[in-house]
Amino acid sequence: MNRGPASRIRVGLALACAGLTAGCGTQAATVAVTRPPAVTASLSTSLTTAQGTWAIAVMGGSAASHDNFWQLFVRRANTGRWSLATPQGVADNGGLVAAGGNGSLVVGFRPSQELAYSPLATSTDAGLNWTPGLLDAALADTPGAIAVGPSGRTLALLQDGTIEAAPTADDAAAGRWVPLATLKALAASAPGRSCGLKGMTAVSFGPDQNPIAAGSCVRPGAAGVFTDAGGTWRSAGLTLPGNGPSMGTVRVLGLTAFPGGNAALLAVGTSLLAAWWDGTRWTVSAPVTADGVRALGFGPGGSAWLLLDSERAETIAGAAGSTWRALPPVPTGTAVLAPPGTGTLAPGTGGSYDALAVSGSRLTVWRLARGAWGKVQQITVPVQYGSSG
Amino acid sequence: MPGMNSGLSPSDPTLVAAFRSALLHQGAIALLMLVFLWLLWATARTWRPAVSAGTSGVTAGEPAEARARWLLRTGFGVLWIFDGILQAQPKMAGGLATQVMEPIAASSPGWVQHLVNWGGTAWSYHPIQAGAASVWIQVGIGTWLIVAVRGPWSRLAGAASVIWGLIVWVFGESFGGIFAPGLSWLTGAPGAVLIYVVAGALIALPGGAWRAPRPGRLLLAGLGVFFAAMAVLQAWPGRGFWPGRAAAKPGTLSRMVTEMAGTPQPHFLSSLLSGFASFATRYGFAVNLVVVIALAAMGAAFLSGRPRLVRYAMWSGIVFCLADWVLVQDFGFLGGLGTDPNSMIPLIVLFSAGYLALTPAAQEAEAPARAAEAKRPGVRSVAAAGALAVILLGAAPMAAAAVNRTADPILALAISGNSTSLNLPAPGFSLTDQNSRTVSLASLRGKVVLMTFLDPVCTSDCPIIAQEFKQTGQMLGAQAKNVELVAVVANPTYRSTAFTRAFDRQEGLTTVPDWLYLTGSLSQLGAVWRHYGVAVENLPAGAMAAHNDLAVVIDPAGRIRQELSSDPGPATLSTRSSFSVLLGQYARQALRQS
Repeated sequence: MNRGPASRIRVGLALACAGLTAGCGTQAATVAVTRPPAVTASLSTSLTTAQGTWAIAVMGGSAASHDNFWQLFVRRANTGRWSLATPQGVADNGGLVAAGGNGSLVVGFRPSQELAYSPLATSTDAGLNWTPGLLDAALADTPGAIAVGPSGRTLALLQDGTIEAAPTADDAAAGRWVPLATLKALAASAPGRSCGLKGMTAVSFGPDQNPIAAGSCVRPGAAGVFTDAGGTWRSAGLTLPGNGPSMGTVRVLGLTAFPGGNAALLAVGTSLLAAWWDGTRWTVSAPVTADGVRALGFGPGGSAWLLLDSERAETIAGAAGSTWRALPPVPTGTAVLAPPGTGTLAPGTGGSYDALAVSGSRLTVWRLARGAWGKVQQITVPVQYGSSG
Repeated sequence: MPGMNSGLSPSDPTLVAAFRSALLHQGAIALLMLVFLWLLWATARTWRPAVSAGTSGVTAGEPAEARARWLLRTGFGVLWIFDGILQAQPKMAGGLATQVMEPIAASSPGWVQHLVNWGGTAWSYHPIQAGAASVWIQVGIGTWLIVAVRGPWSRLAGAASVIWGLIVWVFGESFGGIFAPGLSWLTGAPGAVLIYVVAGALIALPGGAWRAPRPGRLLLAGLGVFFAAMAVLQAWPGRGFWPGRAAAKPGTLSRMVTEMAGTPQPHFLSSLLSGFASFATRYGFAVNLVVVIALAAMGAAFLSGRPRLVRYAMWSGIVFCLADWVLVQDFGFLGGLGTDPNSMIPLIVLFSAGYLALTPAAQEAEAPARAAEAKRPGVRSVAAAGALAVILLGAAPMAAAAVNRTADPILALAISGNSTSLNLPAPGFSLTDQNSRTVSLASLRGKVVLMTFLDPVCTSDCPIIAQEFKQTGQMLGAQAKNVELVAVVANPTYRSTAFTRAFDRQEGLTTVPDWLYLTGSLSQLGAVWRHYGVAVENLPAGAMAAHNDLAVVIDPAGRIRQELSSDPGPATLSTRSSFSVLLGQYARQALRQS
């Protein structure tokens, strides 16, 4: 890979939208494209539900992958303390994927070692008790692989790009899933062909409760976000201004739903953007540049955070017109950020982001207060080294 | 190379004990040593230099054996016996495939690895048979070479040496590493056993061929080309032999010697090697220059075919080879897994024989054999036939093992320990199978029940155990209709039939006849776990539900006959097959007991 200055192409795209145009409302954005995106969506993430704020991080630290166990932590609503809430009964070395909705949290276990399918666990009491569920297929390796709608309808993105749906929470528990779309079919559809769809990265529900799927496209500047309207997949209309070969390919790193809309995190080269959809139009944030993304997640009201290389962290509020705000350098070992549990981050305020730092089997919680990170809690996780060997 | 690794330690006590038993323990090895010494003595007693033949009472008409052939025959006979004894080392059965064959093949091209993997897999499936067979075959060939002095028996011994040598060269030495980078005469190129093969081919020549110097000239010419080629390889720029240090690290030769110094051996030997490694690091260029010059000089001398030059080259070659044998090859056979003394000793024997063949004694061509030999041809023939029997003793089980696609149950016993023979009534149960039908133990009366406990969302052992059960059913053939393969869910949370069905689909068990994966309420399962001594519990922090791996064999009358650990251990191809064989044996045994 040529990293020399000569090979770097810095394209400053002054993305100006003179006014709202049909289907596209976009803020100014400058997208830097230098080389293929180094960003990957780690399964480390956090999300907020009515029950509290959840964070997923991998712990253990052994060189052997089967000694690295993924953990689910919860900071229950109206408390400032984190506790371990990893559902029991399944080895989770392959990773955990979680989604909230319908008053519950659904956790999917990614396959690992000899296990080829994905058991599920659902909690309606903030992780105190779990009900087993079954997805008789391999869940995709992306934090947006599960979505739960307000009615309990559940979507799962599989490793091979297939999207499956369980009509109700009971169906999900009993393993009654039906295929909704395959990657091949989506890529062959008109919107799939239009963007050159090559892979799926996330599923969600739109404001109208219809399924949404997002992925990566090969056509520069084309964002692969699709909605399912009665069995027909259509483009959700997310296009980045300045569309063209110089823009680079767009990869949807994350997608979530919040009351009244959806939020997405996009990577275009080394530029990262947030986008919000209210069901009719998209708003795209200004970009933030980074060489690599270690983790990302969403907070209430479409807010989002990015944990970047070099201990950088950026957050953005969900409101249209908000801009990326850099947090102070995060503590060493930070694996995931957790947004404030309630309310919407107001631009320019620090909020009360937590940084969850991992060292072996120890989790240290740092809280941002008055512009500095302060240690507020430490949890020793009883990692069962060797139990998956 | 997936097949050749049994995953077991070469020092595994069960394997070592079984290997020792197969070789009649240490006593058999000691007996071999005694026989070996006796053969040496007997051979030395019967051989006399040709110059004295005329004065010792000979029988006319039977020519004496050429000195060169005698040297090859006895020299390589002794070497084969020595190699056979090395094969009797305790770690050899469990370690040869993984710690000798696999590492040697690792740097060779893919097709070599593939070929070696085939042989290594056969070894790892049947380590005891293969280990013991190697001992007997090599001791047999060595003995045969020594006792069969002349005639077809003797030439056949040479041919046997060629055949077995080629097998060892291909599978044991990965073609002597000639297809791998870093080939060097110093470390044994082109493979010690290839020299055995050449010697065997020479021994297989008609006896009359040795009466003229032609075989000697040809042999020396071949050796001359070989040494010259090795000199070129050693001198070739970019192969790493010139610098004592490269990129602040010891050079190629120093690294090789340092690696050898790490072999388990007496301290003074490792110190000697470490000292030479330091010397080679400091004076790398000079050391390699000496090596290149010596190889080139020997090559030129052997190619010249002039007896005087060849004699000088032979004596200096002996000194040079012995120095390399000690300082670089570290004797070749130390460390518990050494299979031969490496290339220098056989090479010395070979070029010395070449010199003797070049300069046959004046009387050699005409000298008859000693009368004592002529009077005892039957003894040698019997001894040769005995040696052949020893070879067959090893070759027959090895051939049978090579075509047997199932592994020796000793691997399973090494992992799980001996099973417990019982004769107890099996606790009854009534559970639900994967198709939601109720199944009780009583309903399975009349069949042997192979039962285990599996977690349907398990990530490691359980799917492997299920495959072992499945394979057992296939191995049982027609008897499978009398055997029920039963698993009981071992997870307190993920235990519904949705999970047993998902597990069956994952493991390809949906079409296996007589496969039952049973589950029930937590209280039902808890009772079964308790009655069969299986502890099941959820563990925190993302760990799998814990349970002990247990299998029981219940006879058609409903009595437990065997209880064994079903821990799949390293879960390699050979251990999986081994478990299946063991379970199948127990199932047949239970059928007979009924």
